[in-house]
Amino acid sequence: MRKLLFGRLYTAVILVLVVEQAISAEYHALPEKIELFGPHDRQRVIVVSVENGQVTADKTSVARFAVVPPAIAQVDEGGLVWPKQNGQAILHISMSNGPTLQVPIQVRGMDTPAPSFRNDVLPMLTRAGCNSGACHGALAGKGGLKLSLRGYDPEADYFVLTRQALGRRVDLAQPHRSLLLLKPTMTVNHGGGLRIDLDSPEYLLLADWLISGAPGPQPNDASVVQIEVLPKQVILRPGEKFQLLVRARYSDGRVRDVTHWAKFSTTEESVAVVNEEGVVEIRGHGESAIAVWFSNLVAVGEVLVPFPHQVAEEVFARAQRNNFIDDLVLKKLKTLRIPPSPICSDAEFLRRVYLDTIGLLPTPEETQQFLADRSPDKRAKLIDRLLERPEFVDYWAYKWSDLLLISSRKLSQPAVWAFYQYVRQSVADNKPWDLFAREILTARGSNLSNGAANYFVMHRDIAELTEKTTVIFLGLSLTCARCHNHPIEKWTQDQYWAVANLFSRVAQKNGDRSGEVIVYDQASGDVPHMRRGIPMPPAPPDGVPLALDDPRNRREYFVNWLTASDNPYFARALVNRVWRHFLGRGLVEPEDDLRLTNPPTNAELFDALTREFIAHRFDVKHLIRTILNSATYQRSSQTVPENEADDRFYSHYLVRRLPAEVAIDVYSQVTEVPTPFTQIKVGTTGGVAETTQFPLGTRALQLPDSLVVSGFLDGFGRPDRSQPCSCERMSDVSMSQALHLNNGQTLNDKLRAKTGRIEKWFQEKITLDEAIRRLYLLALCREPTVQEREKIFTALGTSGQSIPSREVLEDLFWAVLTSPEFLFNH
Amino acid sequence: MLRLDARQGVSFCDGLTRRDFLHVGALTTFGLTLPRWESLAAQGAAKSKDINCILLFLVGGPSHIDTWDPKPNAPAEIRGPFKPIATNVPGIQIAEIFPKMARHADKYSLVRSVYHTATAVHDTGHQLMQTGRLFSGGIEHPHMGCVLGYLKGQRGEMPAHVLMPRPIGRTGGNMPHGQNAGYLGKAYDPLVLNADPNHPQFQVPDLLPPDYVGVVRTERRQKLRQAVESTIAAFEKSPQVRQMEESFERAYRLMTSPKAREAFDLNQEPGPLRDRYGRTRFGQCCLLARRLVERGVRFVTINMFETVFDEVTWDIHGSRPFTDIEEMAKLVAPDFDQAFSTLLEDLHQRGLLSTTIVVAMGEFGRTPKINPAGGRDHHPGVWTIILGGGPIRGGRIVGESDELGYVPKTRPVTPMEVTATIYHALGLDIHHELPGPQNRPIPLVDYTVEPIRELF
Repeated sequence: MRKLLFGRLYTAVILVLVVEQAISAEYHALPEKIELFGPHDRQRVIVVSVENGQVTADKTSVARFAVVPPAIAQVDEGGLVWPKQNGQAILHISMSNGPTLQVPIQVRGMDTPAPSFRNDVLPMLTRAGCNSGACHGALAGKGGLKLSLRGYDPEADYFVLTRQALGRRVDLAQPHRSLLLLKPTMTVNHGGGLRIDLDSPEYLLLADWLISGAPGPQPNDASVVQIEVLPKQVILRPGEKFQLLVRARYSDGRVRDVTHWAKFSTTEESVAVVNEEGVVEIRGHGESAIAVWFSNLVAVGEVLVPFPHQVAEEVFARAQRNNFIDDLVLKKLKTLRIPPSPICSDAEFLRRVYLDTIGLLPTPEETQQFLADRSPDKRAKLIDRLLERPEFVDYWAYKWSDLLLISSRKLSQPAVWAFYQYVRQSVADNKPWDLFAREILTARGSNLSNGAANYFVMHRDIAELTEKTTVIFLGLSLTCARCHNHPIEKWTQDQYWAVANLFSRVAQKNGDRSGEVIVYDQASGDVPHMRRGIPMPPAPPDGVPLALDDPRNRREYFVNWLTASDNPYFARALVNRVWRHFLGRGLVEPEDDLRLTNPPTNAELFDALTREFIAHRFDVKHLIRTILNSATYQRSSQTVPENEADDRFYSHYLVRRLPAEVAIDVYSQVTEVPTPFTQIKVGTTGGVAETTQFPLGTRALQLPDSLVVSGFLDGFGRPDRSQPCSCERMSDVSMSQALHLNNGQTLNDKLRAKTGRIEKWFQEKITLDEAIRRLYLLALCREPTVQEREKIFTALGTSGQSIPSREVLEDLFWAVLTSPEFLFNH
Repeated sequence: MLRLDARQGVSFCDGLTRRDFLHVGALTTFGLTLPRWESLAAQGAAKSKDINCILLFLVGGPSHIDTWDPKPNAPAEIRGPFKPIATNVPGIQIAEIFPKMARHADKYSLVRSVYHTATAVHDTGHQLMQTGRLFSGGIEHPHMGCVLGYLKGQRGEMPAHVLMPRPIGRTGGNMPHGQNAGYLGKAYDPLVLNADPNHPQFQVPDLLPPDYVGVVRTERRQKLRQAVESTIAAFEKSPQVRQMEESFERAYRLMTSPKAREAFDLNQEPGPLRDRYGRTRFGQCCLLARRLVERGVRFVTINMFETVFDEVTWDIHGSRPFTDIEEMAKLVAPDFDQAFSTLLEDLHQRGLLSTTIVVAMGEFGRTPKINPAGGRDHHPGVWTIILGGGPIRGGRIVGESDELGYVPKTRPVTPMEVTATIYHALGLDIHHELPGPQNRPIPLVDYTVEPIRELF
């Protein structure tokens, strides 16, 4: 009966061999050899052209294929090779104007028994979408059938398919009446529609499995150990198509083509799209990764589409380079033919580096001094000075407090201050990042004496602790794997609970003082796997597990793994966060999503920065200094026509709205009217209480707690500090913000204040012209141009020598302080 | 969302800006005076397929047994003090504390079998009923009104979604989620009123220039701002800068628009109609909602209360700082009865009910058994919600609770099915995928969830 089924498929197609004259090295066949195992195996072959070692086109459609001898295997016009009987053969590929390529074929296993449930049936059902989240993979299943999401639990799926529903799904007595065949083929009504054609290889596979007695998953089934995409990188042009191949390596040594079972997705739809068969189609210029999933493993292929610009070599050769960052950025830009913008002016640099590094504007005196300075290394010296400013400590203590979620939502007021002071002191000491992480993650004792211990006080739930720790320190989201294998990453549920078990022995008890909690380690204790109900040996992600009875301290074991110089995530996570802060876009975006399937826009640069950071013993300030000194950071925000479309390869500085806290602080700075912070949300009950903790003059960046009441800060996107997600900070612009700046109190009160800069200038009776000059220097760090001054005179219908009224001064301030040039860093 | 303190007594002192004058003037040249133009616009809204929504959120959680799911045959400690009365739809009975609503039962339907299984605190219900989902995993799901604005945009200068009078604040849980655009971004947050429309000097904070700025300075600021930024053409290439300029433009259009100013000006409504809605915060919010929908706002959310503490609300635990059953019947129910009935009537008379969904719902029901303090506690096991208008049929009852009002007896309905029903009634594809955090696609409602078909 099996033979009968296959007879339909095995109509041999033999192509005439065309002998070619020219021999050239520009065509390659992929893969280089073909191994087929069993009647359901197949291998797609592609022919690519290669220039300078780079794959540049898919030539499969103009190739002709033939197998010699034809009795061993057959090949169709598209290059798909099927086995016929055990033995060896050669695939001959001829090109119309090129050489004949030869690929060896080995066929084995044609006499093996039934297809495997785990390695044949499940991947096929997964590909057909049967166990997707929208169908039977949903938590509640669909139409009474519930499968594990994308097949993460083969044993349960086998039970459900063969034992439930009165055995109607799999009917061994009458295999052809099994619902497993009738439903997806729409032979009977199926809510999910047609998933499998009656004359498809998938149908034959299912039928073969049923006829063979529907054997279940076996403990000794081979497992997939690695998948790869062929080719790894390809350079293409818009409009071109390219077939990618996916091959899986199994624990028994087999290598198999799984292109037809894999799932594909693109990271950049504007550059490349990919269909279900793995055919990439180029839509635009730039770079995209094609992520491939199979059997809970992931791999990526890279698609490069250089811009069509003609950019002279010397543009890149002559571009300023200050350190290795610039070499690697320019290398990428050159590959993609994107020219860099020139270096920004001193005035632009000054304003930019102040706002990014210390969250304030330079004073007019600082501006004038810097602009007048003639020394060639004045930018480097300025960077060094800023890194030693107390406001640097404010800004970066605030930033790490965001990351660590410091707020009175889950901590008492004294605990908030203790944690904040710990972070603040760490920034002031420039504590190496590995030591910082170690101190927090192994913190013990009173949370009031050792502020770092509050990390555990805040996250009492072990799942929360697991998920937050991996996001904060590794830039990895494991959340999906709590309940099932991660659908778009390689993390399994077993791994998740192995990580969770690392924290199972952290315990807490109340201390003597109010709000005091003592964090300590217990000698025993495990957290059970959510589904299996038993504890997993504790292990870091991809790390070596500890035996369950190993007496070593599990937190310390984790931190040793975390801060080891070969940890693949720890240093990268920090590097990406710092890079994003200064360059406006992470090398990986979002900044805390370092998935393999979310590759960096410049992998070489990411590697080099990470190496530098580790080599300098996790010195954050050194990393910042290196970035600030690069020509890449110092490029103009003004684009040239050929780099206008670039928002990720760092050809120019990306402009961005000032963060909420910086915006309100510079409003105070320019107007010399401080912001009062007099109320705080009461964490546990949700009310608002008066507070005197923050004396007038406290800047927003000096607040230790995100629950300090400020409509302005909330409206402009201050993070809530409830989740360690970079998405908490909103940097977009809304109409409510515009309405508030127009009509609200925050800015208007500063403009109207009885004391402050506006009142001073008014008392001085300075001319309009003088006011404009001073205000531009103060707020925009530059002189106004003649045209700008003229435009303002015209708008006011007066001359520069007129003495502006108090209201005119206020309105002038308002106009400058709400302009994009002020509210954006550029 | 931008929450700022209400500031009273602010007005736009001397009439129209030049731009507004031109706007109205242009219309006048075509022979249309402003009111006429408005009535045309209203008719246009009625004709268009675009459906609007007014969501009355009954903060506190009305007792289902004392309101729209009476249990006259239950023991006294369950059935409570109120008798059922007939409505204008044969077979539908509601509690006697809603005599006015009873005359309009043909305009709304009752779903008596809504339930949720999350923790029985206010916050979970607020999230579930306004977004369809629970706040978990750090994902801030958007409010339905923000989703509508995101998918359909705003009409002219009118914001797509207005929330009034204020966001829900303190209700005991930790965080009020689900009241803004969440992961869709601040650009789609609702315009929050932050003021009481029943206040004699009612003004929307931030909507209009403060009196010390006024129209002359507003115009001067605008001219100065244009002068300041006109030389920085380079910035305009940044999408974020363009978004900012667009936001300022939208804000300026809104704050100087006579239509918007007029829309928020309740003094334009005749006194008797204002009385019919009830001279209460909730009543005047309902009236304002009708004005706004009439003038192009797509979605209005009215929170009947901001908190459940020290205020007479639906939260009838029976002891302080909460409300008891009699207080609810004396103060809360009549307020709702009057405003809700008038809103339906008014929308109907203006031909707006066919294009405006009106939903009234709380975050859970209340324990069937009266507690020792003479009140009822939180009970998400089953409760009743009210839907009408637009394509939703009136005069129907979907689902029923069991004889004692503990659990759904037939046709259990989850919060997400309610959300699906509202999205469907608004004409949206309920499985349309929104870009969630980290670009994770999140469908409006889960794929397995369908609208309540019995309502259409």
